[in-house]
Amino acid sequence: MISVKNLYHSYNKDGKYQVKDVSFEVANGEVFGFLGPSGAGKSTALNILTGLLPLQQGEVVVGGYDLKKVSNERFNKIGMSFEQSNVYSKLTAKENLDFYRKLFDVPTLDSHALLKLVGLEGKEHVKAGEFSKGMKHRLTFARSMINNPEMWFLDEPTTGLDPSIAADIKDIIKEKNKEGVTVFLTTHNMFIADELCDRVAFIVDGEIKLIDSPKNLKLQYGDKLVEVEYMEKGEVIKTTLSTVLPEDKRELQKIIEHHDIQTMHTKEATLEEIFIKVTGRGLV
Amino acid sequence: MIRKIWAIFRRDLKVNLKDSIALYILFIPIFLAVLINLFTPGINETTVDLALLEGDNPSQISYLEQFAEVELFKTIDQVQQRVEERDATIGIVPENGGYYLMTQGNEPEGIVDYAKILTSFYELDISMEETNSELFDFERTVPPLKKTLVNTMILLISILGGMLIALNIVEEKADNTLSAINLTPAGRLTFVLGKSVIGVLLSIIGTLSLIVITGFGTVNLLQLLLVLLVTSLLSISVGFIQGLTSSDIMTAAGSIKILFLPLLAGVLAIEMLGDKWQKFFYWNPFYWAYKGNDLILSQSGTWSQIFMYSSIVLLISGIVYLFLAPKIRKGLE
Repeated sequence: MISVKNLYHSYNKDGKYQVKDVSFEVANGEVFGFLGPSGAGKSTALNILTGLLPLQQGEVVVGGYDLKKVSNERFNKIGMSFEQSNVYSKLTAKENLDFYRKLFDVPTLDSHALLKLVGLEGKEHVKAGEFSKGMKHRLTFARSMINNPEMWFLDEPTTGLDPSIAADIKDIIKEKNKEGVTVFLTTHNMFIADELCDRVAFIVDGEIKLIDSPKNLKLQYGDKLVEVEYMEKGEVIKTTLSTVLPEDKRELQKIIEHHDIQTMHTKEATLEEIFIKVTGRGLV
Repeated sequence: MIRKIWAIFRRDLKVNLKDSIALYILFIPIFLAVLINLFTPGINETTVDLALLEGDNPSQISYLEQFAEVELFKTIDQVQQRVEERDATIGIVPENGGYYLMTQGNEPEGIVDYAKILTSFYELDISMEETNSELFDFERTVPPLKKTLVNTMILLISILGGMLIALNIVEEKADNTLSAINLTPAGRLTFVLGKSVIGVLLSIIGTLSLIVITGFGTVNLLQLLLVLLVTSLLSISVGFIQGLTSSDIMTAAGSIKILFLPLLAGVLAIEMLGDKWQKFFYWNPFYWAYKGNDLILSQSGTWSQIFMYSSIVLLISGIVYLFLAPKIRKGLE
């Protein structure tokens, strides 16, 4: 479990806060997403939770460890995948993982198995410096699982990856979550958040604007629309109708009864549209 | 903790063995040892040097030439100039019907005693036939030039240890791996100790190779180890700082060369300057390390002397470390 109360952080300690009065809780086994544009304070908050940045103000408990009391033991329980790949370029993929295995006090996963899991099978003995950006990212991602973490922190886990690799990464995250791993991820990709997260927090200018599940957000902020394509006098007509307004409902019924329907989709608002609606800001 | 320190050291060694600059640093002590052997004279080519006035006392000159290398000068000023040169030449100058020994002040005691004995023997008219030969140790079991070079190289090797640490820290920075290390149960102390091992081992193994190859293998190794360890503390601290503040390997290697300055200053002060100048170098840990090593290499150092010099080096290096520690801590965050 992660518990954060009234968290503040200022890099220059000059009263200008990059994280302001942030409070939230993440339950065990939950996938929680921190969503916001670049510079919103996502990574700052993440780095405080992992211990990369010192806790200046507020109360933070991660996996039962109060961050005010420094304990290296807690790192046995957490894993972190960085947005920027950070592996030893002069060591091979396997040497990289083997080295990190020796730094933990808990049973670790086999390096070969991890490399296979992230699609780097056969690249065990290739120096990481010779890897492509995507391969380095997968190696960094594999390393974050090495200690079988209970709390898994993922900083922009799919940013810059091609769609097939991103899909693999998402599958692994889902699989780990099914095994009971608590996931805290930051992203500015709302599709990733929508697909993976049980709950999301919108963060802008260091402040949390809203926390809820993607489903609730869509129900609350999305317009209930249906998009219909039908044939009329040999032509394809496309129209969007509300499922709430009485006249639109009647129109929809008439189209279904008297025309040949080509396609019909309910049109939910995307998380990105909701984000813009709630925060008044875009995600880039 | 030991297991993690060992893992960090093994990783560094693995990387260093793949890197040409690091490999060069690792093997330089052996190259230096071979060079010293090639270019320094052996003990049989060295002798005690005396400086006398030309034509003052031909019989004395002939007598002394049997036992020492005698150089002749026209004036007392010239004798004095010769005595003030960097080697341990003793002047024998007439005064009030007798002779006095002109010394610079930093000559080994045994050489001064030897000159005194020769002068007394001449005055007592003791001939070669009336003497028994006996081997006597003038604190010169090895050639002085070779000892000076080996001593300087021992200090240089400790700096190379710091340089190697700096290179490894720069690599961590370039690959941005410090943040990943910070999220493992290996704490900062473990990391610092792990990173230091390769520097200390280079210092120890490099020095052992150097002294064995150059023929100093019979010195008191424990005494040498003590001085090496305390000297390494300074090099390690500077190695960390330079590694953390340098953006690339060449900058780090270049920055750590700053330590060559106090090293050379310490060596030159002891070898070339008179007693009155020595106090200006007391701040320099290399000065005291050189003194300690000098006693060890000439196999004349007592444990109390070595402890004293080591304590001074440790104290100065400790002060430097205390000054640098906050910057190291911050750099590792």
